[in-house]
Amino acid sequence: MQAKGMLAGLSALLLLSTCSALYEDQIKKFDWRGVNVGALRQSRVDLNHFQPRILLSTNEGVVASVCVKTGEIVWRQVLEQKPRGDIKLLQVSGFSDDSSDTAAAPIGSNMGFDMLTVQGHAPALVRGWNTNMGALEWEWSTMPLNTERALDGLWFYSRSVLYHVVPTWKSHLEVTAYFASSGHSTGSTSKVMASWITPENCLLSGTYYICVDGKQLISLDLVSKSGQAFRTALEAEPKSKLQPLAGLNGVLIADGKLISVNKDQAVCSGLQSSSYAVGTFNYRKILAYADVASGILKINAVYLDNCSPVAELEQGVPFPEHFGTPSLNSFDCKLKRNGEGKGCLFLFSTSAESILAVQGGRIRWSREEALANVIDTQFVDLPLADTEGTLENEMKGKAVDFTSFERDIVSAFLRRITTQAVQIRSLFLHVIGLGPPPTATQRAGLVRDSFGLHKMLVVLTRSGKIFGIDNISGKHHWQLYLPNVKGFDNAEQMRLIIQRSAKHFPLQPLCTILAQDAANGNGVLYRFNPITGQASEGGLLQLDYKVKQLSLLGETENDFVKGILLLDASNKVHVYPQHATSLADGLYLYTADVKTSELTGYFVKYAGGQLSSTHIWNVRLGGHNSEQQIIGVAGKNPIEHVHSQGRVLGDRSVLYKYINPNLVAFVTQAPDATHKSILNLYLVDVVSGSVIFTMTHRKVRAPLSIVHSENWLAYSYFNEKVRRTEITTIELYEGKSQANSSVWSSLQAPPMPLVERQSYIIPTIVEALRETITERGITNKHVLIGTSSGSIVEMPWHLLDPRRPIASTTQGREEGAIPYIPELPLPTESHINYNQTIARLRNIYTAPSGLESTCLVVATGLDLFVTRVAPSKTFDLLKEDFDYILISIVLVALTSGSLIVKHLASRKLLKQAWK
Amino acid sequence: MKMNLKMELVLLALFSAVAGSWAFLEHDSWITVELKHSLASDGFSFRGNVTIPSLNSGLANVAQPALTEVELDILKTLARQNEFYRLKATVVYSNGAKAQFLTSNKACRLLQAQLNDVLWISLDPSGFVTGITVSEDAAPGNAECTQEDLDKLAESQFSTDVLIRHAELAPVPDTAGFIQKVEREREARERGEVRDNRGFFAKYWMYIVPVVLLVLVSGATNQDGAK
Repeated sequence: MQAKGMLAGLSALLLLSTCSALYEDQIKKFDWRGVNVGALRQSRVDLNHFQPRILLSTNEGVVASVCVKTGEIVWRQVLEQKPRGDIKLLQVSGFSDDSSDTAAAPIGSNMGFDMLTVQGHAPALVRGWNTNMGALEWEWSTMPLNTERALDGLWFYSRSVLYHVVPTWKSHLEVTAYFASSGHSTGSTSKVMASWITPENCLLSGTYYICVDGKQLISLDLVSKSGQAFRTALEAEPKSKLQPLAGLNGVLIADGKLISVNKDQAVCSGLQSSSYAVGTFNYRKILAYADVASGILKINAVYLDNCSPVAELEQGVPFPEHFGTPSLNSFDCKLKRNGEGKGCLFLFSTSAESILAVQGGRIRWSREEALANVIDTQFVDLPLADTEGTLENEMKGKAVDFTSFERDIVSAFLRRITTQAVQIRSLFLHVIGLGPPPTATQRAGLVRDSFGLHKMLVVLTRSGKIFGIDNISGKHHWQLYLPNVKGFDNAEQMRLIIQRSAKHFPLQPLCTILAQDAANGNGVLYRFNPITGQASEGGLLQLDYKVKQLSLLGETENDFVKGILLLDASNKVHVYPQHATSLADGLYLYTADVKTSELTGYFVKYAGGQLSSTHIWNVRLGGHNSEQQIIGVAGKNPIEHVHSQGRVLGDRSVLYKYINPNLVAFVTQAPDATHKSILNLYLVDVVSGSVIFTMTHRKVRAPLSIVHSENWLAYSYFNEKVRRTEITTIELYEGKSQANSSVWSSLQAPPMPLVERQSYIIPTIVEALRETITERGITNKHVLIGTSSGSIVEMPWHLLDPRRPIASTTQGREEGAIPYIPELPLPTESHINYNQTIARLRNIYTAPSGLESTCLVVATGLDLFVTRVAPSKTFDLLKEDFDYILISIVLVALTSGSLIVKHLASRKLLKQAWK
Repeated sequence: MKMNLKMELVLLALFSAVAGSWAFLEHDSWITVELKHSLASDGFSFRGNVTIPSLNSGLANVAQPALTEVELDILKTLARQNEFYRLKATVVYSNGAKAQFLTSNKACRLLQAQLNDVLWISLDPSGFVTGITVSEDAAPGNAECTQEDLDKLAESQFSTDVLIRHAELAPVPDTAGFIQKVEREREARERGEVRDNRGFFAKYWMYIVPVVLLVLVSGATNQDGAK
């Protein structure tokens, strides 16, 4: 009995140690990280510095310096989350909108700062940066009196003074001036009366505050002493929103034309372009502009003083469609190369959130910043090599007509012989170099490996750009851009769906994106091949209704496509492709309204060639006045397999798991009079509409992360009472007997599962939770915990287990449960991304590989991190440092040794016999 | 129309001992539920009323008239076509507020269970109904009804059990319990009461190993001597 206890203790120890770290020589062997900065907001190209550089600020609250030649990041500073980290102004020393210290200003002139940024509004933080290293040198902040009004605040810099402009709409402007590097106010706040200002019609250009009023511009010079408003007449009322032109004081762009309200600043008014930028060339100020016409990006420039064109800079660059619409952000020219346009580097931002550098008539480099906002990813199997494909075909043929197999032995034999003949021939041709040229995918190395570890990572981003990325090398194989799409209402993002996997060899895999049209809000489907990135099945399909819910159907028999079932706003059901319609019969659907917290269940019926939906249940989670809001919905991964149906207890009896594939967890949050804030968890069977379990947390609030798998659920939240993050875990069991072990039916389900629950303290802030998933579900499940500091912790389920016994009983020990400790350990060796921090970690996605032991992981945020984990260690794989040579030598030596010894022994026997 | 009043006692103990201790509302109240089912040619017809005077005790008064011939025929038709039996429930709270719920189950299952069904009423933590589900006790049966099943139906009177699912209070990290446990262990150690519950080998390996070694070594030398 005692030995048994020891054994249990030992096994518990073993279980604890399953979570092991990476060895040093494994670093970057199968993981990689993509580092992004986000969509470009302001930039400054500086080619004449002793170290040419590009300084930029982005929409993601990042300040960075990138290499001029390659576009690689020299340094990057990720500021606070929005709204605190929202960058309002980036000002580089030596470049100012003021005419006195532009262009002519000496480089590196000492103004007390290299580069400053203004971020946030309450408080507004002003920071000075060292541009060579990216180090923060100084900082000051200012807290506005009125936080709400400060949200619309604007900042500009002029002659060592930083001005803060706070508009009070339809009333006045408050202008406060600070010394840029110290933060001391230069005087009191001045109020400028301006009753015409509205948020839509006004902008700041240099020191001028300009508003459009019908066919007039009303401008205020905020730096001048007089503070007089003056009017400028326009030729026509501007159709689009006005934009300021950076670099010229008091100049703005209206419908592609330049207008100056500054009397001292003349502009070339005859130009028409979508984007402009100001810079110097041959010591003269020039104005560059760029437009895309029929796939060619044309860059032109004029001298500002006489509006004559700069012939040297004129260039046309072939412009790939997937970058979207470009807009010239800034440029700079080398001073030394007089008279030559090749020394100029133009920096573009595009609608697909790329950053492009154009130099000498070609795209020098590009950065794909759309990857800073990944919303969905899928791992797609790579296609088979041709020879394997034919083999696969043969096997498939056999499987299909299995009944006729016996009488068809001759044809099967013939088929096999011909296949092998073909294989031998192709091998021979390949050897002598006459074989068929490899296909494009093969040349790119996109062929399935024997373990299924090499996959195509399809990444969908918020801007509508889609990438096909090699999950091993990190190479971008293809890119696609869908303009004019956006996510859905209800805060639902676009969806990436695999309609056909690569398993059906001669047929190509098929992916679909479901999005909403930005213009009219109707649904949009885009079908493409995830291996090549080419549109297939007609590509873009505009639907004529709004999409409310989406579901995937089973595979069709002839072309193996999983149909997409869409529920539209008027509860009509549609299926794509059309021929899969009959498969939608008998399908259950549900919708959840985030605002009213009402769930509705539908049953889809196919009769007489028509699909119809019946409303069959509803659930109200909103409470009395629908004050409860749904903040989290978690279903199970549809590809999940549950290998073990139960859990063996200490007394060798089995506790059966309650494995309901239709169970979905909903979390609602509401303010509460007595408990400040309450969080409710509901487990709802979405087929029968039955609320299986309800649990409530008091004094607890978002941020919430939730993961739901097999028979368990784990979710993290913030406990307001003790100010810490906690994780609650739940396990559901049917009991000691199983109601129906073969088929699950929600309509005949066991009504009341046993619910085990426990809460743990986690000494970090949780940003994302995800379970590992493997091919057959035999491998242990671990929970990947993404923390706000950018690391991913691999937590074995044994530690989160709600059945961890509080009193150390022998029963718990024999069950293999570790005694309860309220705080979860976060050992450094279980951080799967070691020092590869993922900035602004938002989500983790997992997918099974071909190996049972291994699970593929991709973590997204500002950065992208791809790796693989083996929760139960790589039990089905030899170690990477396995010594094949040694084992071969040993084998050969032993075999030959035994042969020699055998020979010697027989000779000895012979000799003895002769004696 | 025959009125039948039936009292159903619900044992909270059914919800397992753990759940029972937390499953109480701070402010008890009453609700009434009006049931309508889709057994009329045009939409929903009246099925009965359920009154729950106290949500905490879970006692329910169920008043349901028997089904008419027409309704039974419709029910049988639904069962034959494997259609849904849909039930609309209107909950009226003590303050007069109303909420409407819909639930469905296969009509065939209802027939197979001889009109015995269970009405699950799920409550949220403040006592408001989140969902009402009608289900039948798991009865053996085919998914689809045969004519035989339809003929077997003898009842025309619903016999309904009303069960209430209360919301439960979530656990909090048990730091106090853990500290107490650690304290107890420390005290026990200080008093020297700690019982060595290691295994036999774990405790005495330092004595056993030399003995075994000795035996082995002596055995080996003996063998040599014998030769």
